[in-house]
This record gives sequence, C-alpha cells and structure tokens, in this order.
Amino acid sequence: MRGYVKSSPVFFRLVKRSLALTVCVLLALAALIPAPLQEQASIGNVPNPVKSAWFLLWIQELVSYDKTLIYGVIGIALIFLFLPWFGFLPVPERGRWCARERLPLTIFTLAIFLAIVLLTIVALFFRGENWNFVSPF
Amino acid sequence: MFKDFFKHLFPRVVLKKNLRISYTFCLGGMAFTTFMVLVATGILLLFYYRPSPREAFDSILFLETSVFGGRYVRSLHRLASHGFLLLIFLHTLRVILTGAYAKPRQRNWVIGFSLLCLAIFEAYTGYLLPLDQLALWATQTGMKLLETAPLGNMAKGILVPDGVGETLSLIRFYALHIIVVPTLTLFLSLLHFYHIRKNKGVLPYL
Repeated sequence: MRGYVKSSPVFFRLVKRSLALTVCVLLALAALIPAPLQEQASIGNVPNPVKSAWFLLWIQELVSYDKTLIYGVIGIALIFLFLPWFGFLPVPERGRWCARERLPLTIFTLAIFLAIVLLTIVALFFRGENWNFVSPF
Repeated sequence: MFKDFFKHLFPRVVLKKNLRISYTFCLGGMAFTTFMVLVATGILLLFYYRPSPREAFDSILFLETSVFGGRYVRSLHRLASHGFLLLIFLHTLRVILTGAYAKPRQRNWVIGFSLLCLAIFEAYTGYLLPLDQLALWATQTGMKLLETAPLGNMAKGILVPDGVGETLSLIRFYALHIIVVPTLTLFLSLLHFYHIRKNKGVLPYL
C-alpha cells in the first residue's frame, strides 16, 4: 500500500478545513453584504431597463442582439452534456489540468467561459434605459 | 453513530497524491457545503415566509425589521445561493479542464451537469419569492427568455398559469423552490458521491 494514507484523519482533515473555510467566508460576507429589498412588486410600475437575475443576464444580453441566438445557448449546453461521447476527444490516461492532447476543448471551454463572464458584465453595468449602451462611470 | 456513518461514505485509504489541493480546489465539496447552508437558512426562513401575493412582501419586511437575526439569515441565504451557483459552475469548469468528464465517469458527468441546471433553476425559483420589484421583473424577464426557447411557451404555461407573482405562479415557484428542486438536488448529490467512490475517487483514471 505504498503511497496510500488512511482517510481518517488525512482526507477528513482536508474535508473539515474546506467545510470550515466555506462556512466562515459565507458567515462573514453575509454580515457585510445585506440582501437587497426594493419596494413591493407592482405590475404597473415597470423599471427601465428590465433586467433578469444576474445568472441569466448573459442570455438576456445575447438574445437582445437576435432571439435566435437562444439556439446557440441550447446547442452549447448539449455539446457539453454529450462531451464524453465525442469519439474524437482522447480519453485521458490520468487527471491533468489543460492537457496538451485536449487543447482544442480547453480553448473552446475557456472561450465560452469568458464569453459568459463578458456578456454578464456588459448587461450588468453597460446597459441603461431601453437597453441602450451606457457608461457605468 | 453519525461519525461512523460519515466515515463509511469515504474509502478507508486514499492515494496521498490524490489529495493535492491544486487538482480539485475542493470546489465540489465547497458547493455541497454551501447547499447545506442554503438548506439550513431556508428552513429558518420558512418559519416566517407566507407564500401569497398579498402577504409575501410583508412577511419579508416583518422578518427584516422585527425578527432578531432575520435580516442576517436572509442575507446569508441569498449570499449562499450566489456562492452555490459560482462554486458549482467553477467545479464544472474544473471537471472539463482536467478531463474528469471522460469515460468511465460519463454517468457522473451527466449527474453533475444536471446538478448545475438544477442549481440555476433553484436560484431562479427563489428569486420571485420576496415579491419586491427586483423579484417580479427579474422573474418576468426570465419568462420572456424562456419564451424564446423551443417548448418555452409550454414550460411557461406550466410554471406561470396566471401571471408572474400571482397566486398560482407564486405557490408553484414556492413548492419547486422548497421541496421539489432541493430534494432532487440532494438525491443527485448523493448519487454523485456514490459514483465518485464507485469510480475509485477523482484520481487516477482507471
């Protein structure tokens, strides 16, 4: 059993530390960042611009250019869902970050990730009345 | 007893090099911890929240102004929901970039991907519940986005049979948010952990 260690306590120590860190960070941030509460909902009082939840903003930004781009979002989701069944992607022999043999997939994934982040930032900070571009500064 | 049960979820021994923090950054474990925080704070919020269009906003206002720690618990719940989404998203990214999605872990990849989708849906259903302006219009816009997708109108009809924030839609979002989606998330998370053990951990590949 060379190279092996007992889960208790070595692995458990790691689990406990990550658990404690997560809980402590959440507890501290919750004290610093209060949840917003605006006035009571009114269907007659339409804000301008109307924005979706932050985690859907990138899709809102995308379909604001063209509604059919929603099919691109669905297509990308399906590509990722069926990733293990794409025969042209090599099956890794061992776990490694951004392995050379998977370079095209790494680039594709990082490009999608960056696009999601950028679209979210644009929709969050650079969209004003009537969904026009505005400067946040 | 709890400790023994917890121990049995893990293998008795692990490869020392598999515990390298730089491989997983514990993102999956941290996401599940955040989910547990969401469950705990969500249960506390249930004691005060009233899921009706007339009472929902007032119940949140009461919680924020008259209940000791109410505002903090709500902030913690909201923050944990953001954290859960971010961590599960980064965990998914890590799985792709390290190639951990590939065979023989394909079943666990699909389970994990479903968990990401459930996390987004869970956050979306929770967004409406305070029934303030932010909640109403963010949910309304979400529905407009859904309409652009194939079968979106049918899904909208099921989720919002009346209007966003009206009686039926609020009760459906509430039921989905507190029972249906969290139960599914917990079930799939346990299945996810079972498959990690079955696949002999995160490293090395078989």
